[in-house]
Amino acid sequence: MSDTDIRIGVFVCNCGLNIAGTVDCESVAKYAATLPDVAHSVDLLFACSDDGQENIKQAIREHNLNRVVVASCTPRTHEPVFRACVEEAGLNRYLYDQVNLREHVSWVHMDDHDLATMKAQELVAMAIERVKYLEPLERKAVDVIQSAAVIGGGVAGISAALDLANAGFETHLIESRPTIGGQMALLDKVFPQNDCAICILGPIMSKVGQHPKINLMTYSELDDVEGYVGNFRLKVRKKSPFIDWDKCNGCGDCEKVCPVSVTSEYEFGIDTRRAVYRPFPQAVPNRYTIEKRGTSPCRIACPAHVNVQAFVTLLKEERFSEALEIYRKNSPFAGTLGRVCTNPCQAECERGKYDEAVSIKNLHRFLADYEREHGELEIEATEPDKKKKKKKVAIVGAGPAGLACAYDLVRAGYPVTVFEARKEAGGLLRWGIPEYRLPRDILQEEIDIVQKLGVDLQTDTKVESIKELKDQGFKAVFVATGAPASRMMKVQGETAKGVHHALDFLDRVNSGKKVTIGLNIAVIGGGNAAIDAARTARRLGARKVTIVYRRSREEMPAIASEVDEAEREGVKIDFLATPVKILVSDKAVSGMKCVRMRLGAPDDSGRRRPVPIPDSEFKMKVDTVIIAIGQEVTPDALLSGLEPSMWGTLEVDPVTLQTNLKGVFGGGDVVSGGATAIEAVATGKEAAKSIDRYLMKEDLVEGREEILVPIEDIEVDETSIQMRYAPVMKTLSMNKRKTTFGEVELGFDKDIAVTEAGRCLSCAVCCECEKCVEACKLEAVDHSLQDEIVELNVGTIIVATGFKVHDPLETREFGYGTFENVITNAQLERLTNAAGPTQGKPKRPSDHTIPKRVAFVQCVGSRDRRFDTDYCCYIGCENSLKQAIQIKEKYPETEVTIYAMDIRTHGLGYEGLYRRAREMGVIVVKGRPSEIEEDPETKSLIVMAEDLYTGERLETTTDLVVLATALLPNDDTAELARKLKVSTGEYGYLMEAHPKLRPVDSFQDGVFLAGAVLGPMDIPKAVAYGKGAAAGAQALMAPGVFYVEPIYAEIDTDLCFDCDLCSDVCPYGAITGTGEERRVMFELCQGCGTCAAACPKNAIDMRHYRKQQIIPQVIAAASVKGALVP
Amino acid sequence: MKRKRFEPSIVAFTCNWCSYGGADLAGISRIQHPPNAKVIRLMCSGRVDPLMVLEAFKGGADGVMITGCHIGDCHYATGNYRTQVRFDALQMAMKTMGLHQDRLKLLWASASEGQQWAEGITEMTDTIRHLGPSPLKAGGEAK
Repeated sequence: MSDTDIRIGVFVCNCGLNIAGTVDCESVAKYAATLPDVAHSVDLLFACSDDGQENIKQAIREHNLNRVVVASCTPRTHEPVFRACVEEAGLNRYLYDQVNLREHVSWVHMDDHDLATMKAQELVAMAIERVKYLEPLERKAVDVIQSAAVIGGGVAGISAALDLANAGFETHLIESRPTIGGQMALLDKVFPQNDCAICILGPIMSKVGQHPKINLMTYSELDDVEGYVGNFRLKVRKKSPFIDWDKCNGCGDCEKVCPVSVTSEYEFGIDTRRAVYRPFPQAVPNRYTIEKRGTSPCRIACPAHVNVQAFVTLLKEERFSEALEIYRKNSPFAGTLGRVCTNPCQAECERGKYDEAVSIKNLHRFLADYEREHGELEIEATEPDKKKKKKKVAIVGAGPAGLACAYDLVRAGYPVTVFEARKEAGGLLRWGIPEYRLPRDILQEEIDIVQKLGVDLQTDTKVESIKELKDQGFKAVFVATGAPASRMMKVQGETAKGVHHALDFLDRVNSGKKVTIGLNIAVIGGGNAAIDAARTARRLGARKVTIVYRRSREEMPAIASEVDEAEREGVKIDFLATPVKILVSDKAVSGMKCVRMRLGAPDDSGRRRPVPIPDSEFKMKVDTVIIAIGQEVTPDALLSGLEPSMWGTLEVDPVTLQTNLKGVFGGGDVVSGGATAIEAVATGKEAAKSIDRYLMKEDLVEGREEILVPIEDIEVDETSIQMRYAPVMKTLSMNKRKTTFGEVELGFDKDIAVTEAGRCLSCAVCCECEKCVEACKLEAVDHSLQDEIVELNVGTIIVATGFKVHDPLETREFGYGTFENVITNAQLERLTNAAGPTQGKPKRPSDHTIPKRVAFVQCVGSRDRRFDTDYCCYIGCENSLKQAIQIKEKYPETEVTIYAMDIRTHGLGYEGLYRRAREMGVIVVKGRPSEIEEDPETKSLIVMAEDLYTGERLETTTDLVVLATALLPNDDTAELARKLKVSTGEYGYLMEAHPKLRPVDSFQDGVFLAGAVLGPMDIPKAVAYGKGAAAGAQALMAPGVFYVEPIYAEIDTDLCFDCDLCSDVCPYGAITGTGEERRVMFELCQGCGTCAAACPKNAIDMRHYRKQQIIPQVIAAASVKGALVP
Repeated sequence: MKRKRFEPSIVAFTCNWCSYGGADLAGISRIQHPPNAKVIRLMCSGRVDPLMVLEAFKGGADGVMITGCHIGDCHYATGNYRTQVRFDALQMAMKTMGLHQDRLKLLWASASEGQQWAEGITEMTDTIRHLGPSPLKAGGEAK
C-alpha cells in the first residue's frame, strides 16, 4: 500500500457530557477533517455504544477507510473494544489508534474550554500522524499450560484453588505459614450470623488437603517468577520445617519437650508457643514445624561454640541436669570456665542491645554448682569403639587444651593418654589462677570427669620427643604444653631482689611455696595476670598495691569485674604510666622511675597506642615489683622434632592444627603464645576433630568447617521485654578477703539463676538442644533438613496473600503497649476463642478477671491521615458489634460502650447486627476518645471522650479497652508485586486493572488478584474475589491458547555491527546470536523497546512502536497548534 | 483566537504501565492541571530514544518530559534504569544545544500517583513559562 492510498477515519466521542462538557467535539472533528489523508471525521455521542460502533463500522465500509482514530477515553480500558470493532469491519486491528480525550483532557482541564479543545485537536493530529505509519500485524498465539498457582492460603486463596481444581486444573497452593486458613482460621466467630469461623472453614481446609488436583505447599514462599502468560516458571522455596512431614503424624510429643518459648503470632502476642509448633489444632496439613532463625550470636561468639542458648533455655525451664548435659557435650569445664572465662559470648548477646547481656558465664557456673550439691549426673566410662580401639592417641600437656581434646576423643571411642610434666593436671588453670577465683576442688572434679570417661592421665611424666611417643605405639599426638614463662620487660634493674614475674609468682603461691614480698608493691601490666598478682599480693599481706598500666581503663584486657573487685580490695591503679627503670639500692628494689603516657593513634589490636610524654618522669617508692606484661613459650615446651615459628611458638596449620609432622597436632598457649582458657579449649576440640579425621583416614580439611549461620534479622518481640539488668553476684566479705584465699564470687542461687535465664530472648528461636529428636518416636525430626527449591510451570497465577493488622504499638495509641488492659480486637478474638489462651473466657490481661465494663475504640489507625491510612478498614464496625454481642451473650450484666466516628453497617444483615447490639444494651457513643488514662492501682482505664451529638464531655472508667485496628497491606506485598510485575496502589495494596470492570485482573496478563491483598474486605467478598479470580484464570486457560500483542523487537542484521548493546540491555535475555545469526526470540521478548532505543545503528525496531511511527507523532506534538473555529 | 500569555508546548513521553496510568488516574480523580503537556504513549520509558527527544526540540517543543515507573517498579524489570542513564546523558547535551537543562525533566510516577502526575505537569509548565519559548523554535511564540 503506498502513502497516497491512506484514508483515515476520525471519530470524536462526546462520551455524553464527560468529554463534550469541556471539549468542543464538533470543532475537533472539523479540525481533523482539514488534515491531510483524513477521509472522514465525525463526532459521536457514545463511540463505544452499539450505535457508535456500528457508525464506525459503516464509515469504514462506506468511505473505504484503512486507518481509524477514535478520540475518546483511555486506551487502557477501551482499546480492545475499538480494535475488535475495526476488525469486525474487515480492517486489521493494529491499523487503529486511540486518543485519550476524557482522562487526559476534559476531566483535567475543566476550567479552560478553549485550551482544552485546542489540546484535543493537537492530540488528534498527533494520532493521525502516527496512524499513517501503522502496519497490519497478526497477534501471536501462545500455548497455555493447563495449571495454575495460587499464592496465599487464606480463605480467598482456598476458594480460588478449590474452584480451579474442581474445574479440572492442576492447582498449586503456596502458603508461607505452616498451615492454610489465613486470618479467618484465627477468628472465633464471624459476623453477621456469628457462626464459628473454624467450623465453617475447617471442612474446606481439609478438602484442600485431600483434593487430588491440589498440590498443597505450605511453609513455602515464592522466590522468583519468570516467563509470561500461559507459561510462567515459578521458583518456590519450601522452607525446611526440620521435621520430615512424610513421617510426622502431628502427635505433639516434640512440643512437650521443647524448652523454647516465644511470642505466638497466631495468638497476636497474648500467648507464647514453643519453637516446635503447630499453629492450631485444625492445621492443614496437621504437621509440626521447627522455627529456626540461624545460630544465636552467643554460640557463634564462643570460641568453642558452646550451645549457650540451649543450656540457658533449659535452665530457664528448671531442667538443670539436661542443661548441664548440653554444656558438657562441649567440654567438662562448666564450673571452671563459669569462674574464669572471659565470656566473649556476652559481648554479642542480643539482650545487651536492650538492657544488659545475659550473665551466661554465671549461669553455667550455677549448673555446675547445682550439680555438685544435688549430684544427678553419673559419669560413666565410654566404651572404646571397635574400629578405634587400636588407635592410641597421646596428648602432651594436661591444661585446658589438652583436657578438652582428650574429652572429645575419649567420647569418640579412642584410647587416650594424657602426659603431664607436673604433679597435678590443670595447667595454667591450676598454676596461674589464684584459688580465690577458682577453688581447686572445682577444677579437680572437672578434671576427674575426663578421667572417669576413661582417659589415662599420667602426671609427673615429661615427654621429651615425638619419637618416644611413636615408639610407644601412639598413632596421633596432640601437643599442648603451654606457655608458662613470663615475658621480660627489659628495663634496668629487672633482676634485682624483690622483682617477681607474675606467672612465676602466682605459680609459687598456688603450689604452696613460700613467697616473700614487701609491703609496698607495684604490679606492671593490665591483663588478668596483673590483677591476679595484685589481689594475691593483698592476701599475702601487702599494705599498698599499685597497678601501673600504660593505657587507660578502656584498653585494659583484664575482665572488668575483676578490675572492679581488685579496686574494692584496695588495689590502686595508676593509668597511663610505664616504668623505665627499676631503682635498686643494696641489690634490692627501692623504687621505680616511671614516665607518663598519652594515647595516640590505634595500633594493630585496635587499641590506642600509648606514647610517652616528654619530661614527665616521676619516681615511685616501692619495695616489690611484679611484672605481668605477658607470657612466653619456653624452649622445652616444643618437643624435639617440632618446628618453632619466628616467635618461638609452635608452628601449626591454622585450620587443621597439624604441625610439621604428620599426625602431630598442636594447640593452646604453645601455639598462641598466650590466650584465654576458652580459646585453649576451642583449639583442643579442633585438634580432636583433626585427629579423628586423621585416624579415620579422612581428608583433614574437606567439609570440616561447621557452618553456623548467623541470624539475619533478629526479630524479637520488644513488647515482651521488661527492662531488667543482670543480678549482681554475692561476694565474700572484705575482711575475709584480706587474709584468706576463699572464693570471692559466691554464685547464683536457684531462683536468681532461673530468673536470669528468663532474660534470654531466644533470639534464634530453636536452640538446637535436640530434645525433640529424642522425643519423636517416628524419628521424624531432622535438624539438618535444608530448604528446597521447587520449580513449577503454570499458565496462570492468582495472588491472594491477604493483609496484616495494624500494630498500634508503633504509635502507642491509646496507651497500647503501656497499659496492660488495652488490647486489640484481634487479641480479644483469641480471648473469646475456645481454642485460645483463656479457653474462651475474655479475661483481662492484668489480673485475669472477667471485665465488668468494656469499651471499644473504633478506627484506630483507620481513616487517619497521620499514618497515610485514611481509608475505612471495612470490617471494624461489624467486628466490634459482633464482639460486643458475644460479651453481652455470655455476661449480660457487662457494660459495653463503643466509641466510634460512625458505625458503618453496609449491605444485608449487618444493620441487624447493629440493632441486636443496641437491643442488648450496647451503648454507642459518637466520637473518638481524646485520651485514655490508667488507674495505677486497679489497672482500670479512664476513657475521656466527647459525645458529638450532645456535646457532653464524658469521662468513664472501664476495665478493658479494645482497639479496632486498621487493616494494612502485608509487609511482603511490595516485593511480591515486583516479582510478579503487577502494580501497587496508593496505600500499598495490589492494584486491579480496572476498579469497576476488572477487579480481579492485574495489568500483567495471566496474573489475577483476590482477597484482601487488594484492600480491606470481609469474608464473603474475599471468597467472591477468590472465585472470581479462579473464573478469570479458567477462562484464560480453557481455550488452550492465548493471543498476545505482536509487539516485539526485530533486528536488521545488515545494519547491525555486533556491538551487543542490545543483549546487554534486554531484561529478558531475548537477543541471541551474532552477525547474520543475531535475532530476537520473540517468545521471550516482552516488547519494552529498550534495545531499540539503545541500538547505535538503528538496526533494531519495535513492531507497532517503530521509530518511524513515533517520531512523526513527536514532531506533531511539538509543532502542531490547534485552531478554534469561531 | 490570539492569546497573550505564552502557552508552552511540552511533549511528555509516558510508559504504558505506570505514568500513563498515573495520568489516567489524575483524570479519573479530576485533578486539574495545565493543558500544555501532550502525551506520547510507549510501552516503556526505556523505549525513549534520545533521538526522539532531540526531534521534539527540533520540532519546536519548549519542554520535554520523560516519565515512567519508579526505579525498581519497572514493568520490564530494568527498562527504566536505561531511561535514567539516557536522561543523564541528554542533560549533559542540553547545554551544548543551547537549551536550559530544566527544559528536560524526568518524572517517575506510578499508576496510583495521579496527584504526583498533575503536580509534575504543573511544575514543568510553570518552569517553561518562566524560561520562555525554546530558542530552537523558529519565530518563538509566533503562532
